[in-house]
Amino acid sequence: MALSVSIEKKLGDFRLAVALETDGAPLGLLGASGSGKSVTLQCIAGTMRPDKGRIVLNGRVLFDSERRICLPPQKRNVGYLFQQYALFPNMTVEQNIFAGVRSGSRAEKRAVVQTALRTYQLTEVAKQYPKTLSGGQQQRTALARILVGKPELLLLDEPFSALDSFLKGQLMWELQNVLASYSGDVLFVSHARDEIRLFCPRVSVLNDGRSEPIAAIETLLTAPQTVSAARLAGYRNIFPLQRINAQQAHLPPLSLTLSLPETDGAAACCIPDAALSVVAPDTQGAIRCEVRGALYTDEKRLLQLHPSDAPEDALLCLCTADTPDGCADSGIWITIDETKVFSLKM
Amino acid sequence: MKKMIALVLVCILLLGCTAQAAPSVQKDETVELVVFAAASLTETLTEIAEAYKAVAPNVTLVFSFDSSGTLKKQIQEGAECDLFLSAAPKQMNQLDASASAEANPDGLDFVLQGTRVNLLENKVALVVPDGNPKGVSSFDDLIARLQGSDLLLAIGNADVPVGQYTQKIFAFYGVDEAAVAQKLTYGSNVKEVAAQVFEAAADCGVIYATDAFSAKLTIVDTATKEMCGQVIYPAAVLNISKHPDEAKAFLAYLQGPEAAAIFESVGFTALSE
Amino acid sequence: MDWFPLLNSLRIALLATLIVFFIGIFAAYYVARLPRILKGVLDVFLTLPLVLPPTVVGYLLLRLLGPKRPVGMLLSDLFGMRLTMNWQSAIIATAVVIFPLLYRTARGAFESFDETLADAARTLGKSNAYVFWRIRMPYCRQGILAGTVLAFARALGEYGATSMIAGYTPSRTATISTTVYQLWRTNDDALALKWVFVNIAISAVVLLVMNLLERRQRLGGRRA
Repeated sequence: MALSVSIEKKLGDFRLAVALETDGAPLGLLGASGSGKSVTLQCIAGTMRPDKGRIVLNGRVLFDSERRICLPPQKRNVGYLFQQYALFPNMTVEQNIFAGVRSGSRAEKRAVVQTALRTYQLTEVAKQYPKTLSGGQQQRTALARILVGKPELLLLDEPFSALDSFLKGQLMWELQNVLASYSGDVLFVSHARDEIRLFCPRVSVLNDGRSEPIAAIETLLTAPQTVSAARLAGYRNIFPLQRINAQQAHLPPLSLTLSLPETDGAAACCIPDAALSVVAPDTQGAIRCEVRGALYTDEKRLLQLHPSDAPEDALLCLCTADTPDGCADSGIWITIDETKVFSLKM
Repeated sequence: MKKMIALVLVCILLLGCTAQAAPSVQKDETVELVVFAAASLTETLTEIAEAYKAVAPNVTLVFSFDSSGTLKKQIQEGAECDLFLSAAPKQMNQLDASASAEANPDGLDFVLQGTRVNLLENKVALVVPDGNPKGVSSFDDLIARLQGSDLLLAIGNADVPVGQYTQKIFAFYGVDEAAVAQKLTYGSNVKEVAAQVFEAAADCGVIYATDAFSAKLTIVDTATKEMCGQVIYPAAVLNISKHPDEAKAFLAYLQGPEAAAIFESVGFTALSE
Repeated sequence: MDWFPLLNSLRIALLATLIVFFIGIFAAYYVARLPRILKGVLDVFLTLPLVLPPTVVGYLLLRLLGPKRPVGMLLSDLFGMRLTMNWQSAIIATAVVIFPLLYRTARGAFESFDETLADAARTLGKSNAYVFWRIRMPYCRQGILAGTVLAFARALGEYGATSMIAGYTPSRTATISTTVYQLWRTNDDALALKWVFVNIAISAVVLLVMNLLERRQRLGGRRA
C-alpha cells in the first residue's frame, strides 16, 4: 500500500509533470523555489486540480482524469502541513486541534483532543491563540491537528524553511519523534538537501516542474545525474562542456580541456571539491589562480579562484580547511584530478 | 510621443489666439448682443435665436442662462449685458431705478427706462398621471377631496419656486396646510414632483405649466390670478448696453408672433402689451 | 417634539442595513470567485449606486417600482403591496444606496483572506459552509464590521433617493434627513440642528456598541 502519483498541469508558462511512488519510507521531493513543489502537494491534497493523470493512495483513487474521478480534499484523508502551518487565528490551540478530529461524538472528540495535547506537550498553551505561540508550539499544534484525523498520507511542505538554525535543530528532533510513531506515507518537500537527507532514504529531484527518477539519497549526493540535481546536492563547480573527441571535453567558461569519457546526453560536467587540490607553486600540470573572494561557511573556507588563462569572469570554487602560505600575492596553484570529474545531463 | 504632445499644445494655443483675433475682425460687420436670461427660458430662447438669424443676420445672440438672482448679481458687479429676462419681477425691480425703495433697496439703475415689459406669464398648473386614475378634475375638486377622501398631492417645498405659489393657493381656499399634511408629500425639486406624478406614485401635483409640458404631464386645471397671483417674467434693455437699438429690436421680436408661438408651445402665456 | 422621524429613520436604516448585510456579503464572496472580466463588469454594476446622485437612483427606482410599471403592478396584483410613497419603499431606496459601501468593504476583506487557511480546513475534512462561517467570516470580521457601520451611518443620512420614492409626508414617511432639510429650508434652524444632534447621537451609540462587541470577542474567545 502506498502513494502513486502521475500528473501533469499547466499554469501559464509553467508545465508540471510529476511521477512518483512511495515505498513505506518517507519520500523526499527536492527542488529549488518555483520548481513546482507546492503545486504538486496541492494536487495530491486536492486543493488544486491537475490537467491529467492519476493519483492513487493505498488503493483508493483520489484522482483519475480519464475516469473523471476527482475527490474533494475533504474525502482524501491527506494531512498537509503547510509552510506557515495555517493555524486558524480565531481559534485557540485546543479548538484548532478539535477542528482536526473527524469522527466520534463530541465527548469522544474532546477526549482525543486532550490526549493530543498531552502527547504534543501543548497542555499549557491549550487556551492560547496561535499568534502567541512559539515556532515549535505552532508546529506541534499543526501536526497534532493533522494527526488526530488519522490521515493516510502526510505532506510536509518545507517544514523548516523559515526558521533560524537553533529552532530548526529543535524542530527537526521533534518531527523525527512524530514521524517515528506515524504509520502512513510521508512526502517531504524541501530545497535543502540536509533536511531531506535526515528524513528520507529516497528522493526525487523536481527540476522546473519535471520530476526526475527517484534515487537513493546517497546516490543523489555522491553521483547526481543532472545539473539541477547536482546543484541541489550542493555541488558548485558545474560548467557546460563541448566534446572534442571520445576522450576529451572542452569547458568554454574556463578555457580548459579535460580528459572526460563520453557519456550519453552529457551537456555539462562537475568538478567536485574532492577533485581539487592545492599544490606548491609551479608544480607540473598545476593551474595558477588568483583569489577573487573568500567566504566562510561552517568552519570551512570557500575561495573563489580565477584561473590565469581563463576568460575574465571565470570562477572556480574551492572549499578548503587550510590556507596555503603566501597565497595572497602569488595566487594559488591547484591541480584537477580528472578521474573524479563527472558528467551531467541537463 | 513628446513631440506629438508639443505639436498638439502648439495647435491649441494657435487656435486660441485666432479665436481671440476673430471678433475684432467681425465687429465692423456684426453686432453681438449679450442676453442674460432665467434658466427656465433656455430651450425657448435658443430656438428663437435660430429663427432670429433669418430676421437680423448681422446680430449674433450670446446667452447666459442661470438663476435670476445670480444674473442680477452679475449685472450689479459690472458684467457686460444688453438684455435681461428674469423669472420674477423681484430681480428686475432690484435693478430698476423707477421701482420703489422697498423693491430696490440698493438704488441700482441698470434698466433703460421705457424698455421694460412684462414678457411672459407662467401658470401654476394642477397635473395628473396619464389616465387620471383618481379622476381629479380641478383645483376646486382637489381642495374638496384633500379634506375628505384618500388622495396624495405632490407639491414643491419652500425651496422650489412653485412651492410658495402653492401655499398661496391653500391660503386662498382657506385650507390649513398642517391639517391636510397626511395627504401631501413635499418634493425638494420640480423633477421629483413631476416624476412622482408621472409614475402615479402621487395622484396629482402642482407645478408650473412649463414644467408640466416638459415632463409631458396632463394639465387638468390652471390657477387663476385670484388664487395665487401671477408668475410674471419681465424683460428689459439695460442702460449699459452698447447696442441699444439692436437690443430694442430683439426685444420687440420677442413680443412678436413668431416668438410668442415658440413660448406658448412649451406652456408659457405670451403677454401682449 | 414629534418623534416620528426618529423611529422611522431607525427602522428604515436598521432594516436596510440588515438586508444589505446578507446580500452584500454573499455578493462579495461570489463575485471574488468569478473570472476576471465578468468580475470587473459586475463590480462596476454593483458599485453604480455610489457614483450616481442619490436622487437619480431614486428616480430609476421609481421608474422600476412605480404603480404603472411591470414590477410595481405585479407586486400590487400578487400581494396588494405598494412600493412607493410609504416607509417600506424608503427601505428599498436606502438599501440600494448603501449597498456598494458594504459590498466593497466586504470584497476588500475577502480578498485579503489567506486562502491557505481555507485549504487547510478542507484537507482536515471541513465542509465549505464550515470554511465560510467559522474561518473566513471571523477572519474578515473586522472589515465587514467596519463596512456595516459605514452602511448604517449612510443609511441614517440618506436623503435624495428616499425623497424621490417615498416622498416627504410628516408622520408618514418623514425621516430625520428629510425633516432636517425641510426645517432648514423653512428657516427653523434651531429645530433642524436638534435633529442633526439626534443623528450624531445614534451613530455614536452604534459605534460604541460595535466597539464593545469587538473587544469582547477578541479578549473572550469563542467556543469551537
